[in-house]
Amino acid sequence: MADVAHLRLTHVTKRFGSTAAVDDVSFEVPRGSFATLLGPSGCGKTTTLRMIAGFYDPDIGDIELGGRRINNLPAHRRGAAMVFQDYALFPHMTVSDNVGYGLRLQRKSKADITTKVEDTLKFVGLTGLGDRQPNQLSGGQQQRVAVARALVVEPEILLLDEPLSNLDAKLRESLRWELRALQQRLGMTFVYVTHDQDEALSLSDWVAVMNAGKVEQAGAPWEIYYHPRTAFLADFVGAVNLVPSTVREVSDGTAIVSVGSTNAPVRVPADLSLTSGAQVRLCIRPESLALRSPTAAADGQVMVPGTVARKAFLGDLMRYWVTVEGREWIVDQPDPGAAMPHDGAVQIAIRPERIHLIAEAVS
Amino acid sequence: MRREPVLLLALLAAIGLVAAFIVYPQIQVVLVPGPDGYVAFLSGGTWVKPLLNSLQVTVLSTTTAVVLGFVFAYAMVYTPIPWKPFFRIIGILPLLSPPFVVAAVYVLLFGPRGIISYGVFGLSPSVFGLLGIWGVQTIAFFPFAYQLIADVLSRSDPRLEQAARNLGAGPWSVFRSVTLPLSGPGLGAAILTTAIYVLEDFGNPALIGGGFNVLPTQAYTLIEGFGDFTGAAAVSTILLLLALSLYFAKTRLDRGRSFVTVGGKASSMPRPPVPPMLTRACFVACCALAGVILLVYGTLIVSALTLYFPTNMSFTLDHFEYLGAHATSLQNSFVYSMLAAIGCSAFALFAGFVVQRGSWPGRRIFDFLLIMPAAVPGIFFGIGYLTAFNQPWSDQLAELFGQRDLRAQLIVIALLFWNIPVAYQAIVVGLRQIDRSIDEAATSLGASSLRGFRDVLVPMLGGSVQVGFVTTFVRAVTTLSVVIFLFTPRSTTATITIFQLVNDFDWGGAAAFTVGDVGMAVIVLVIIGRLGGRLAVTGFRGG
Repeated sequence: MADVAHLRLTHVTKRFGSTAAVDDVSFEVPRGSFATLLGPSGCGKTTTLRMIAGFYDPDIGDIELGGRRINNLPAHRRGAAMVFQDYALFPHMTVSDNVGYGLRLQRKSKADITTKVEDTLKFVGLTGLGDRQPNQLSGGQQQRVAVARALVVEPEILLLDEPLSNLDAKLRESLRWELRALQQRLGMTFVYVTHDQDEALSLSDWVAVMNAGKVEQAGAPWEIYYHPRTAFLADFVGAVNLVPSTVREVSDGTAIVSVGSTNAPVRVPADLSLTSGAQVRLCIRPESLALRSPTAAADGQVMVPGTVARKAFLGDLMRYWVTVEGREWIVDQPDPGAAMPHDGAVQIAIRPERIHLIAEAVS
Repeated sequence: MRREPVLLLALLAAIGLVAAFIVYPQIQVVLVPGPDGYVAFLSGGTWVKPLLNSLQVTVLSTTTAVVLGFVFAYAMVYTPIPWKPFFRIIGILPLLSPPFVVAAVYVLLFGPRGIISYGVFGLSPSVFGLLGIWGVQTIAFFPFAYQLIADVLSRSDPRLEQAARNLGAGPWSVFRSVTLPLSGPGLGAAILTTAIYVLEDFGNPALIGGGFNVLPTQAYTLIEGFGDFTGAAAVSTILLLLALSLYFAKTRLDRGRSFVTVGGKASSMPRPPVPPMLTRACFVACCALAGVILLVYGTLIVSALTLYFPTNMSFTLDHFEYLGAHATSLQNSFVYSMLAAIGCSAFALFAGFVVQRGSWPGRRIFDFLLIMPAAVPGIFFGIGYLTAFNQPWSDQLAELFGQRDLRAQLIVIALLFWNIPVAYQAIVVGLRQIDRSIDEAATSLGASSLRGFRDVLVPMLGGSVQVGFVTTFVRAVTTLSVVIFLFTPRSTTATITIFQLVNDFDWGGAAAFTVGDVGMAVIVLVIIGRLGGRLAVTGFRGG
């Protein structure tokens, strides 16, 4: 049967001294997918990537690429090309020589190399810049050269280590779409490392959020964003309200939980087993909430009365901080120009199906 | 690395070379006398006088050389004196010539028939001994002190000094409260390095020491005069211990230096102005020192071009014709030094790579062994090679290759490994400035470590290679002490010839050879400098 996992890590651990940089990490990346390791600095995401590349040896565990165990394969034979944060272009070579370097190592013919280099430069939108020195290019162009240099060798897998983080915000975003489009055209497996949750969510088919050397949760961006398993995850991938709550009763996959002074019926996540009286957190994204006047009717939603403490105009939305029983909630209102801003006493309108439950951390 | 057998083999070969040519000869010297030999030697007491002499002259000459070097460096770095390019060349010139040139000129000027002492004052003073050595070493080594101190001073951040001035401190106050505390460790290291140069100086005391023996000359006399290997080995072991302790004191200070170089390159901000009086005083001092250097080299050139300096001043090219007829030694110097510089650069590249980029057990020891020759006096190094390799088996080896002896090869190897520290450290510093992602990029594209090293790192290390190459070449053409025990008439070098000619009172010939030797160093330096686009002058040392 076809093994769909292109890259597989099984119980991989890497220690530096007494600290485990990567601690018993296992995951599978399907062939042809854009996979992202997301996490704060020091979470072990880059170490994991470097073990896949072969720059570090795992202390324990197996790394398999295309069904083959590659632990003992030297880095230069793995077919895992890498794109670096600082581009790592060879400063003494022209753009063409940089891109052609991997082909020269493969002892391709001169004519072959020239054609392939030109094609690849065209592919990444750098036609005509082959004779430049890397330091004559802008940051964005340098990163395209780095991507071209890695792609031209037709690697088994492409590894990208925060490739966009040295670029300014605008360029970062446009290159993001280019990378995604490139990956989809090639159908190649990309493993991407970043600390930027927007990047991770918008680029990836699959995201693994790492913290303190462990994978906290892995899955589709949608899953991670709306159904995080822990408070850390919920907070890390975007602004969120994490409201303490008590389970009133559980029946048939639905829990009745307290929301302020009222109750709401919420679907229980499959991996969570709840009993009546358990402490949970309600995880609600600010954009899932709406503000209503204090007198507005419930209209099938759960209404929580509160007071606007402060607000910030962010252009595409208005962000409110609303005090509810001594606790601040964040509520985002889209298209702020469409109505007068709210102030003073308000009601927060919650649709129960937008509430996700997280178990209260035991420790 | 363990997955790359070629790299592993190359590393083992490098370790083998270091063991054979750095560790083995030195251990040989230390072990030659044996316990009984040391007891007999130490109780004999012949070493006490040279030891005291060495200490005395090192303290005296280092102090004066450092004071003069400091004045010169301060003037160059801090004051807006005119003629700086000229003074810079004056500061480099002595680094390109054998230090004992100063001693030779000193005799010509102030000796019993010296042009100044006899010619002007009609005196025939006895110039040999402590005072002579002191004076000569001061002049010979102040340019070294200048280079080291100027390097330290120029790293002191002008922004901090401007800030101090801005807060109301006067020039003297800034110097005392900001510059000196920041540069203190660096200056200390510069002083100790100068002291090592002076301690290890063989040529000057050998030429004008007279009965005043220091440790290096004592070792030489014991071997050449009495064939006393045991004694010479013991004396040079004492010398080695002194040099090593100075060296370790220096490395301790170097470690404390790191905070001076915060921010790496000095900013382009100008230094705060100094009082005009001070600038004028500095200018006068620099002119005086430049005058002395010019006097030395001027005398050299004049005596190379006159019949019998100073008694017969008629112009002649005889000495250069003599040089032309006996050019073997100059040619040898060039060939040996070139080969040593090439070999040294190549070896340093590889060694720097495996130490800086690798992670293997024993890496630290390997690193230490490569830096160690910097603390080993040339005379000790030479005796080491003599005791280790002047063996029956080396004659058999020579026969095998159809050679009369392997001395030429031995000299090249000795020069190569004696100069490894500068070349090696330059590579390590260079590699530190290249991010590892560059190597990893090559690896991830399919290059083995060695291939990536060759294709990517080596081309990027041009500047570092240049420093190592030039320094090795210059030190190799100017050293006397390393080769003095190794040469044979066929494999003699320019410095040996100069030394012999001076001892035979053939001043004209010696001067002509010195001009040839220095000229060779200058030409190579300029060519390499042109190739690489900049002059690399730090790290030179005579010996």
